[in-house]
Amino acid sequence: MRKSIYAALIAASTLLAVQSCKKSGSSSSTDNSSSFDNKGMLTNISTNIILPAYTSFQTATVNLDAAVSAFNASPDNTKLLALQAAFQATYKQWQAVSVFEFGPAETATLRVNVNTYPTSVSQISSNISSGTYDLSTFANLSAKGLPAMDYLLFGLGADNNSILLMYSSDITAANRKAYLAKLSAEIKAEAAAVLTGWSTYKATFDNSAGVATGSSTSLLINQLVYDYEILKNYEVGIPAGVQSMGTTFPTKVQAYYSKMSVQLAILHIQAIQNIYLGKSAQGDGPGLDDYLIKADAKKDGTSLNTTIQNQFAAALAKLQGLTDPLSDQIKTNPAAVTAAYTELQKLTVLLKTDMTSSLGVLITFGDNDGD
Amino acid sequence: MTEINTSKHIAPLAVLRIAFGAIMLISTVRFILRGWIDAFYIHPKFHFTFYGFGWVKPMGATGMYALFALLITAAIFVTIGLFYRTAILIFFLCFTYVELIDKTTYLNHYYFISVMSFLMILVPANRYFSADVIRNPGIKTTRVPAWTINIFKLQLVLVYLFAGISKLNHDWLIAAMPLRIWLPANSQLPVIGGLLSKLWIAYVFSWCGAVFDLFIGFLLLNPFTRKPAYLMVIIFHLVTAALFRIGMFPYIMIFVTIIFFSEQTHLKIISLLRKILPGTAGEQETQGIPYALPVSTRNIIYAILILHFTIQALLPFRYLLYPGSLYWTEEGYRFSWRVMLMEKGGTAFFHVKDPETGRQSEIINAQYLTPFQENMMATQPDMILQYAHLLAHEYQKKGIKHPVVTAESYVTLNGSGSRLFIDSTVNLANEKETFDHKKWILPFHRK
Repeated sequence: MRKSIYAALIAASTLLAVQSCKKSGSSSSTDNSSSFDNKGMLTNISTNIILPAYTSFQTATVNLDAAVSAFNASPDNTKLLALQAAFQATYKQWQAVSVFEFGPAETATLRVNVNTYPTSVSQISSNISSGTYDLSTFANLSAKGLPAMDYLLFGLGADNNSILLMYSSDITAANRKAYLAKLSAEIKAEAAAVLTGWSTYKATFDNSAGVATGSSTSLLINQLVYDYEILKNYEVGIPAGVQSMGTTFPTKVQAYYSKMSVQLAILHIQAIQNIYLGKSAQGDGPGLDDYLIKADAKKDGTSLNTTIQNQFAAALAKLQGLTDPLSDQIKTNPAAVTAAYTELQKLTVLLKTDMTSSLGVLITFGDNDGD
Repeated sequence: MTEINTSKHIAPLAVLRIAFGAIMLISTVRFILRGWIDAFYIHPKFHFTFYGFGWVKPMGATGMYALFALLITAAIFVTIGLFYRTAILIFFLCFTYVELIDKTTYLNHYYFISVMSFLMILVPANRYFSADVIRNPGIKTTRVPAWTINIFKLQLVLVYLFAGISKLNHDWLIAAMPLRIWLPANSQLPVIGGLLSKLWIAYVFSWCGAVFDLFIGFLLLNPFTRKPAYLMVIIFHLVTAALFRIGMFPYIMIFVTIIFFSEQTHLKIISLLRKILPGTAGEQETQGIPYALPVSTRNIIYAILILHFTIQALLPFRYLLYPGSLYWTEEGYRFSWRVMLMEKGGTAFFHVKDPETGRQSEIINAQYLTPFQENMMATQPDMILQYAHLLAHEYQKKGIKHPVVTAESYVTLNGSGSRLFIDSTVNLANEKETFDHKKWILPFHRK
């Protein structure tokens, strides 16, 4: 009996010893092992996708805030156009960072602070007329961020001349300018804080290997799926009335006043697609696609990766078939919008169920035991 | 009937009481610290009750926290053997009540705890080395009938055996599923990480796991193989603890399987405990009176035990009464010691239609369910039905007289790739929950 214990222990330790020798011997060669280079993927995504995206977003918010200051100093048509352009650039760049609501962005609750819509016109108006407000309150989530600026820069009048009047001759013009400045300052500060946060968080992110709950891959995939559902539901589904017995809500689209909802949705899905592919300005690096290929994930006998890539293409094609303003398209051609929604829905299943299940990642925004 | 009536030393029971009480204490404290009372029993607006237990409701924040305080107290009392029978009864009732509130959190190891604490109500585990004996030396016993110890061994043998039998299937043995998905997910681990992504390792783990479960109970029973078997228990459960997110289960099994050791081993454990716990010196070194029950009480207990073990032996086979693939339909899946057998995931879209206007809505599940509930629901037909009934009820309140509720759920099972799970044309509002086969579950074909 003693002997068998010793035998088991010796066998186990031999196995461990052999394996550790092998491991240390082969650690220099990167990709010949059969396990997926998880860290390589994380490093590629953080270095080539996340950091450049946050850097661009932060730059855009700095430009936006400068454009607001210039405009507020002497509102005229040229400065309004410049400000509107700076705003549109910022909103477009936001689409590339919306996904990453973990680490510094989670701490800053960046997503709801920057992009809660539909914005509340009444809340904005009452804040402006009273002149006193606390932007950090829950009630003011829908009175700040990019959607509030969207309204303030595009929604105050039928054209730029009438919008300009609201910043010059209107009795609350001064308060309105102050509000605009507050909004852009907050976005700028948040973007800077998150970018700074990433300078230290990056190492944590890159080195947290594995797919257990709380690991970087799990955080990334969970947020990718979550953000993708925001795209599907809030940018398309809800305005198109799919969740309200067919009653449409055209004004609930993202960027309703600047009328670039379709454009933003396309940028958004492309950003998610690039994370999936590990693709950046530096080329096609390791991404979730490579992970699925390594795991030999299948869907109906064919490669799951191919299926997902095809579905990204199909959903993107449907979105590209839509035209801005989306709020008008919902009224004039609702079938095209719901058709896009249907394709987006199919991709939800592939990302949320097939991809996560193939990689052993749990879709859970909390923690629990299994058995 | 030596396994029933023979007089045995009570030491194994006392050790079991301490081991079980202590691990339950740790388990309960961990549960509270993780914020699960709020996450599972206070925060959700809706609960998936078990069929026939719809009347079980959570008690609100104060009530639930008080209940867990009571569970902790009961676990402490069980451990030290103070007011033991009351304490273990309260523990059993409170724990089982919590488990019955919501099947979302169903785990085999919670079921196991209910079963163990139920059996422990029936035995005099406080009549030796306990606060009760110090309090009332008259109840002290050193000899108990063998059944009081053997029922736990029998229960554990059944648990392992059924866990082993459930692994004897194509997916586990031939396809190495789901371990071939789960093991590579741990490839970041030092030393063994690289191995875990190799397919042959998934086969080794699958086969070893099946062999372990099938035979470990018997190896623990046999005095000649007991020690190496217990060593294997420790290794096996620690490995599963390191690789999978299964919470306290491995530690519970390591603790309770101590019951298999001989009375000499248990006496050694107790004398060790006496040395490190000076407070226990108060117990007199007397033999006490042998434990004897009135015949009528004993017969009632025998009847309860026969009923219990008959159910235990049959319940895991009830799936045979249902057509279709067990993992897919999950009809007869729970309460059968089927652990770690499936990598199953799903996404479910529900639609509510007003037949009078023909208009329909997709439901945002997050309005009614927590993400955890939504995940569990998407792959389990009985939960899909319960949720559909909830939606029908909600839309009736909104003024739609006969809402048509359909579910479009895409489920992947052990790497099959997602496919439609249930018939998305069936109005689930009209379907009743029964023990019959649910005809609206689509058949599973591996492509």
